[in-house]
Amino acid sequence: MSKYWAVFSLSVQQQFYHRASFFLERLRSIIVIIVFFAFWSAVFEGRDHLLGYSRSQMFTYILGMNILRALVYSDKTWELMYEINTGKISSYLMRPISYVGFCLSRDAADKSTQLVSAVLEVVVALWIIKIPLYFPAHPAALLGFILALGLAVTLYFLMSYCVASLAFWTSESAGPRFCFELFLEFSSGAFFPLDVLPRVLLTVFSVLPFASLLYFPLNVFLERIEGVYFWRGIGIQIFWIALFAWAARKLWKKGLKDYGAEGG
Amino acid sequence: MTSDGSLRVKNLTKTFQVAVKQPGLSGAFRFLFKKEVKTVHAVQDISFEVGRGELVGFLGPNGAGKTTTLKILSGLLYPTEGEVEVMGHVPWKREKDFQMNFSMVMGQRTQLWWDLPARETLVLNQKIFEIPENVFQERRAQIIELLALENLMDIPVKKLSLGERMKAELACAILHHPKVLLLDEPTLGLDLVMQKKLRHFIRDYNRETGSTILLTSHNMADVEELCDRVIIIDGGRILYDGQLDKIVERYAPDKLITLTSSAPLDINGLRSLGRVITHNGTSAEIEVPRNQVSGVMGRLLAQVPVVDLAIEELPIEEIIRRVFLHK
Repeated sequence: MSKYWAVFSLSVQQQFYHRASFFLERLRSIIVIIVFFAFWSAVFEGRDHLLGYSRSQMFTYILGMNILRALVYSDKTWELMYEINTGKISSYLMRPISYVGFCLSRDAADKSTQLVSAVLEVVVALWIIKIPLYFPAHPAALLGFILALGLAVTLYFLMSYCVASLAFWTSESAGPRFCFELFLEFSSGAFFPLDVLPRVLLTVFSVLPFASLLYFPLNVFLERIEGVYFWRGIGIQIFWIALFAWAARKLWKKGLKDYGAEGG
Repeated sequence: MTSDGSLRVKNLTKTFQVAVKQPGLSGAFRFLFKKEVKTVHAVQDISFEVGRGELVGFLGPNGAGKTTTLKILSGLLYPTEGEVEVMGHVPWKREKDFQMNFSMVMGQRTQLWWDLPARETLVLNQKIFEIPENVFQERRAQIIELLALENLMDIPVKKLSLGERMKAELACAILHHPKVLLLDEPTLGLDLVMQKKLRHFIRDYNRETGSTILLTSHNMADVEELCDRVIIIDGGRILYDGQLDKIVERYAPDKLITLTSSAPLDINGLRSLGRVITHNGTSAEIEVPRNQVSGVMGRLLAQVPVVDLAIEELPIEEIIRRVFLHK
């Protein structure tokens, strides 16, 4: 276990090394929060409910999204693809350390620093502008939220691990990765709640894996998804986890077999 | 099957499919829709064995198949055909027992964390190779001293010079005292002083730990100073496998005579003695068959007012070049 802890520790150190980009990233997040706040304040002007969200639920959605993105979407997939393309992955494949374990430790380091910063950003945003917040009335909702969030983190890791494996066959992974990310943000509800979509699209999106990542856990927290719908959502998450776990295994096995250990 | 430091390669073949692009813009356009592939035979039916504790030079021009062979030995590539055994293990199964006793350094690759000081990568390797703290402290101190790394350990790796980085690289690679160590171009891009230091370190490591080392290099000084045995490979096939000094007898039947005279040398007179390599007024280099050296010397001293004279073996580069020409 101590080897994975060492990877975690080195990854955190590595992030602090890039101080400038670290702080700029924080600034960007705070600006995004304020812009979204301004936008939804204007939309809520003169009404209390919209798209089935109360004012406090909507603002909690925006702030919660900032924290959830840090937890679910922080990863080192870019670096992973770069390592495959340049052959740097070789140095890990040769050493007695599990590569999945290595990636998980590195992602965990990223998630930890991002989470701490995201929480701080939200605190700063709350301090600058007074935002009404929603807290679940039932403790069960909180437990359900934690379960859904844990599954979301697992699912995202498996999805990005699958996408990263494409680097074994193409040296131009930026294209597919960019499309993946854009679609991901949109369809997981990171830009706006999926409820703004027409009924049909919302139904389609809710069974796709993307909604399971942010939209679903956050709505469990807001107590907008309960009972049967909650368990249905958990079922969908588990289904996709099983599918992507299977695909990741296949892809990596094949990828490592075809791997050219390029460079040198 | 023993778990000592030996390598065994039998009838190893590796072929790659490589995408080829036609020249120019139209070629790029065609490439967009139809990828043409070409089969490259990187290694063809090679066999060799290396015993425990041997330090073997693995030589060949660019694209000869050296690095491919090393990558197969390290378990990074799967062979197309053939058998490979390293310390009794099949490398590409990546068994823990194999990886714990193995290490490879590639000149252009780094296992160091770019933004962090090399010290941190050493700590990471301590954990990965499960080295107890007291052993680690002792080895680290020893390695830092031998490689003169003291002042470099706290500087981010990306700020190090090429030579400094190579030393740090080597330090990380041998921290766990691998029984088998593969070195791909370890002195590439280093200055002469640094090359020498690195060679001494490699030789001492080999002697003290009894580890098996296979080294590729384009730098003949590395090979001459470190390796008793060499394997020469070209076009994916082994051209020579044996003692370095035997190669000299086999491929270099001539010796090189370098002479300087006090009077201008007559080129035709020199040609009657042997093959003239260079001729420049009062100095010349002549190649003479080994068994005729003493006769030629007698005639030279009788005919020419010699100021300076040397009889040498051909430079090793020249001999290796002849091995390639002979194939």
